[in-house]
Amino acid sequence: MRHFRFPPQLFRLVLLTLAIVGAYLVARTLLTPQSFGEYGWYRGSALAEIASRTPVFAGKKACAECHADIAQKMAQSEHKTFSCEACHGANREHAMDHDVVPAKVPDSYCLRCHEGNPSRPSWIKQIVVKDHYGEKCSDCHLPHQPTQSP
Amino acid sequence: MKTQFNRRSALARLGATIAGALALPVARKAKAAVQYFLVSSGAPKGYDPKDHKWLICVDATKCIGCGLCAEACKKENGVPEGPYFRTWIERYIITKPKPGSEETRGETLVDSPDGGMHGFPECPVPKDQIEQSFFVPKLCNLCEHPPCVQVCPVGAAFKAPDGAVLIDPDYCIGCGFCVQACPYGARFLNPITHTAEKCTLCYHRITRGLKPACVEICPAEARIFGDLKHLAPDDPLQQFYETHRTQVLKPYLGTEPRVLYAGLDEEVR
Repeated sequence: MRHFRFPPQLFRLVLLTLAIVGAYLVARTLLTPQSFGEYGWYRGSALAEIASRTPVFAGKKACAECHADIAQKMAQSEHKTFSCEACHGANREHAMDHDVVPAKVPDSYCLRCHEGNPSRPSWIKQIVVKDHYGEKCSDCHLPHQPTQSP
Repeated sequence: MKTQFNRRSALARLGATIAGALALPVARKAKAAVQYFLVSSGAPKGYDPKDHKWLICVDATKCIGCGLCAEACKKENGVPEGPYFRTWIERYIITKPKPGSEETRGETLVDSPDGGMHGFPECPVPKDQIEQSFFVPKLCNLCEHPPCVQVCPVGAAFKAPDGAVLIDPDYCIGCGFCVQACPYGARFLNPITHTAEKCTLCYHRITRGLKPACVEICPAEARIFGDLKHLAPDDPLQQFYETHRTQVLKPYLGTEPRVLYAGLDEEVR
């Protein structure tokens, strides 16, 4: 019986295949970001990167830490659903550093919600500006307790 | 000069190359570990995306069209100026049917000037011609099966385990497939970075225990936000979906949105 010899051309083919598969595996380990596949087919560390943005709005809780008196008044008024920053604007800087003075609310700001508009639901009080008394809203209405007068 | 290239040196070089290739991932892991403990990336620690499931409810009957949400979203997320919005308000105006017609209603007009962020101008239809008019806040619908994620060729669009549909800005190549795929029009290409952008559910806020900016700022409580995995006994979210009949936008697409609407008209899509 003749001794079986593995054909050299096949042997080279096997070696080449192994080299290609090996190169692919090495390249994949090197090129795939470490957190890829942590939660799914994406970079898991992207979650933390997206979350690392700094917030701009401080949130109602932060305001109430110092301005508890106003927060308490507002909690009983029609404006109880308001976040302070809805009218006073984004004020995280003021919450972090009390020396930063927040901008004043323009007097016509009330109209943003209360100007009559046929698309607005009827539950919100609306006025037609030219038919309404007075010039300044705050002459007759306290913004924090809108049904009370100063 | 003859180059020395024998079997021994070739094997040694091969061995060194393999060792180097294997050492690299180890070195990167070590670097990541050092970074995690020593360098503050600004990302809140201790947030586990698998421990949350966010949900937003929108009460369309409460929206007063003030546009504070759209404005706050732009400020909070640094969205570029111009017609780029992660959340916006649409105004629907349904006119009265033509006299003598057997229809119950006339035409439906929809507009959203500047995304509604500066309020809405006068109604383009005289008041006595309006059958019904209302505002609808829109945002990413947080699909359970997001079409935008399916079409992303590079794995940049993804749905996080907590339900937020996000974009990896480092991986996005700005091809715009996802912008076309989104049935709710919630995505756009940022003209500065040339990558796709969308509502992140204010991911930087919710991971810190704050509400998304639009929810925080809405004076009418038209948007209710909560975590299904941590519902308080008197959670506004639970109260809302227990007491309201809700629906999703375009249910026939099978996207299973996690944004539930109450008080929608059939014209809203």
